[in-house]
Amino acid sequence: MARDVAVVAVSQTPSYRLFNDSEAKLIMRCVNDLLTSTGLERIDIEFTIAGSCDYLSGMPFAFVQNIDGVGAWPPVYESHLEMDAAWALSEAWLRLQLGDIDVALVIGSGKSSPGQPREVFPLQTDPYVMAPLGADPVSLAGIQAQALIDAGKATERDFAEVVARSRRDAMGNPNAQVAKDVKVDDLLQAPYFSTPLRKHDLCPISDGAAAIIVAAGDRARQLTDTPVWIRGIDHRIDSHHPGLRDLTDSPSTHIAADAVGLHDGPIDVAELMVSYSSEEIVLRNALGLDGGTRVNPSGGPLAGHPVMATGLVRVIEVAQRIKAGEASRGVAHASSGPLLQQNLLCVLEGGK
Amino acid sequence: MPGIQDVSMTLEFPYQRTTGPVIGPFLTGLRDGKILGSRCGDRVLCPPLEYDPDTSAPLDTDLVEVGPGGTVRSWTWVVEPTRKHPFDHPFAFAMILLDGADTPLLHAVDAGASDAVSTGMRVAAQFREERTGAITDVYFVPEGQAKAQDITPGEEPVTISEHLIGLHISEPLYPHRVRFAQGLLDGRILGQRSPASGKVYVPSNGYDNMERTEMTEADDVEVADRGAVSSFTIITPVQYYGQKETEPYIRASILLDGADQPIIGVDVRDIPVDEFRVGMRVQAVWKQPDDRDVAELGNRFGGAWEGVIDRWEPTGEPDMDPRPLQEFAF
Amino acid sequence: MARPSAVVGIGQTDYRKRLDVTLDGLVRMAAIEALDDAGMTFADIDAIVIGKAPDALEGVMMPELSLADALGAVGKPIHRVHTAGSVGASTAITGATMVESGRYDRVLVVCYEKQSEGNATWALSGGRSGGQGAGGTFAPWIRSYIQRSGAPDHIGWQVAVKDRQNAMKNPHAHLHIENIDIDTVKNSPMLWDPLHFLESCPSSDGAAAVVIGSEDVARNGPNRPAWIIAHAKRTEFSSFPGRDTVKPQAGVDCAEALYKKAGITDPLHQIDCAELYVPFSWYEPMWLEGHLITPETEGWKLTDSGATALDGSFPVNPSGGVLSSNPIGASGLIRCLEAANQVRGTAGDYQVDNARVALGHAYGGAAQYFAMWIVASELSPQFN
Repeated sequence: MARDVAVVAVSQTPSYRLFNDSEAKLIMRCVNDLLTSTGLERIDIEFTIAGSCDYLSGMPFAFVQNIDGVGAWPPVYESHLEMDAAWALSEAWLRLQLGDIDVALVIGSGKSSPGQPREVFPLQTDPYVMAPLGADPVSLAGIQAQALIDAGKATERDFAEVVARSRRDAMGNPNAQVAKDVKVDDLLQAPYFSTPLRKHDLCPISDGAAAIIVAAGDRARQLTDTPVWIRGIDHRIDSHHPGLRDLTDSPSTHIAADAVGLHDGPIDVAELMVSYSSEEIVLRNALGLDGGTRVNPSGGPLAGHPVMATGLVRVIEVAQRIKAGEASRGVAHASSGPLLQQNLLCVLEGGK
Repeated sequence: MPGIQDVSMTLEFPYQRTTGPVIGPFLTGLRDGKILGSRCGDRVLCPPLEYDPDTSAPLDTDLVEVGPGGTVRSWTWVVEPTRKHPFDHPFAFAMILLDGADTPLLHAVDAGASDAVSTGMRVAAQFREERTGAITDVYFVPEGQAKAQDITPGEEPVTISEHLIGLHISEPLYPHRVRFAQGLLDGRILGQRSPASGKVYVPSNGYDNMERTEMTEADDVEVADRGAVSSFTIITPVQYYGQKETEPYIRASILLDGADQPIIGVDVRDIPVDEFRVGMRVQAVWKQPDDRDVAELGNRFGGAWEGVIDRWEPTGEPDMDPRPLQEFAF
Repeated sequence: MARPSAVVGIGQTDYRKRLDVTLDGLVRMAAIEALDDAGMTFADIDAIVIGKAPDALEGVMMPELSLADALGAVGKPIHRVHTAGSVGASTAITGATMVESGRYDRVLVVCYEKQSEGNATWALSGGRSGGQGAGGTFAPWIRSYIQRSGAPDHIGWQVAVKDRQNAMKNPHAHLHIENIDIDTVKNSPMLWDPLHFLESCPSSDGAAAVVIGSEDVARNGPNRPAWIIAHAKRTEFSSFPGRDTVKPQAGVDCAEALYKKAGITDPLHQIDCAELYVPFSWYEPMWLEGHLITPETEGWKLTDSGATALDGSFPVNPSGGVLSSNPIGASGLIRCLEAANQVRGTAGDYQVDNARVALGHAYGGAAQYFAMWIVASELSPQFN
């Protein structure tokens, strides 16, 4: 029987086009914010785990300096993943299951502004037959979007509707980077960037950080009146080779959805890591979401994409809606790799 | 005098990839004008794999030829190619099912214009004049535009594939680093005094990590350009890609008077190695103002002392007690 | 509540330059050997965790993505750890945690580095000229240790010889240096004063893997398990006023937490042998002291006495250690799995007699990341 673990406090910086200072400072702001809001001291945090990416920073071992913001004096029990911080949350959840500690801090941070993401991310692809082609995630998303159209699963208008809704919803999100009321017909007039995708179908380049405190059982109830319980967290990966996949589906998302019991109850809100508007179609289908679920009310990553924190921000956005009483059950999704290769789901619920 | 500029660098390295028993022959094939796939049950996989994607069992390393014609299964028109793409003009990336293969290959189609590309269109391989045993040895064109090619096979099999990865990084110097840089150009060393602990950090990261406190311009303080050696090593340069050093040199940490943390990685070239010691008092001799250069100053790396300081000289003062300096080794 | 976990399978490649295999091929060699040892195939595995040092060492970003198929991970969870040089041990600990959580019964842990594809000193220098390399960072602290402890010069040379002699018994070791002795070491070129060339670790290729199983899996496996009776991690800043770089507080705290969890009160006598992360010779005595195995200034005396040799009372790095093989991202896991080899009795020619309890250790960054585990031949070993 798994131990109950809840999100007790959340923090995120705005999504900046360029944050002209260190990633450590972004992290420091989130950590200090969490300690203030919970009344915890640094030493009360029993396990800390962060997700960040050296390659985005253009510097091997970049994550080491981030420790300055994480806080490590006196020394801390800490780990680091070269993955989106949503995966750090999954490890924190596992760690809390051991029962000897109750409080964990999860941090994600990334600055994409110093590099050229379309030149950096091809390094995620197969180093022999894809990376040397400069196989970038935008082009791959374009291929996926075309496959959706060819399969009759989406139209360019569907993509534009995702963008228009996301940007409009982002107007209510103070942390959003791209927020605007735009008409679908106007979007469809824009030139292509990577057919059938246009520039507005792509997430922005962002800098930012996010962090949360999770706690187990009664410790969670002690720390907040409105714990948001993690009812399931699971992640799965698909084949890396695009030629071996049906690009219009996401089998790993199906498996994760079953593993977290997604379909055991209604889903009021879903925050999906949609880096390209076409991905929302794939994910909605894989998750079986219908009109009863509000998708990306924050505007989602199309409104701000602090890479390596983006997945954790999805958890934060769902948790906040549940805390605010706007939803009682929701799902956060994070993804890693080209063509939605790896997917994580976290089902959250309110209640004491 | 060069001013303060953005940080701009290229993280570049020529990686040497071992190609192994399947990718090696595949790349050798490309160099020799052939596209090969691997047999997996009754399927042919192209690009080939070393193992069965379903069972993980090793696959036959005896490859079979596929193509050179194929069909586009999905595609995108790349309007603004990056520096890493196979073409510097707009082109299509496509999933191409080569004749004789059962899985499509991701590759580039040079088709002139987006309206020349469609799902289901026929394409054919063209090999580049210069081939190195890499996936980029080949590209695709609309089938009707394919030209006959006379390709002379190479001699040795491809076992290593070189892959130059160069990433351009550019960002503004952070505000506290700009003030530090301006100080160096003016012949002053600026640190910051933590409002929380009173400790002086130099060069400052703009925060006090011990107290998790951000610092602002109001916390800037000047420290002395003299201090005591807190630790050092003598480095015999290891030769690596981009390394320019050839002779042994001293790399020292120096606790400047007024600072609570040493400056690190300071090059010392003019004090004889056998006289250098922990506790020794040293002083910066600055370059002439017109010769000072902070171009090497990044947001992460030390103080770029070599750009502004000509050399460090012994002051002749009595040594500091080396024991307490052990806490300032880094 | 936490349930027991154990190492039930071990796999290692040879650690010489591997110009015969791809990255996929390299990790598969270690993974398949570990699975065979555990009596399993990829299909039996519930989750995979991989660890390695910076992606820039091979120029492959987030390599769990492109390695997923080769590791049989499709449709499964795969997780990637990166904690600098300590990453191999951190990854092992994550694997143990995954089983102890009750969520997974069989976890495959794989770590690797293929240094021959890139260049570590280049990467450690952030791609810039004038990098001081790891040795340049650690040499001043080693000098401080020597000054503080009064250790004679030959201690470093002695460790360098001892670990290389042990490596002669380990077929996986990268370096097999015939007839190495104190003179060979001290006459090798000085790289980072006081460190000579032969007091430094090599640049190696290689992959290592373990299968970690639940108690049920361990009791029903074909081979003896190594029970993971405790693990601990601690991190501190790389730089701050008053930092003790010779004996970092995080290393002390990590050891204290580890021994407490294991029920160990006298590590020198209750632990039978240790695989310590010693990339530069002097770190043997420094970690003996820094991890409270001996009091301060006594570590070098233990080394000097011969006690840390393979036939001594507290053998350190019977496998030859990092000084003989350093596929960076895997090196910490190798320490952990060699500790497991000792308590399983599968260490071959470098087996320590009657090893029941063994320590695996790694550190990283500016001696600021620590990860350690203790494995034992029994689930609940009794300590006197």
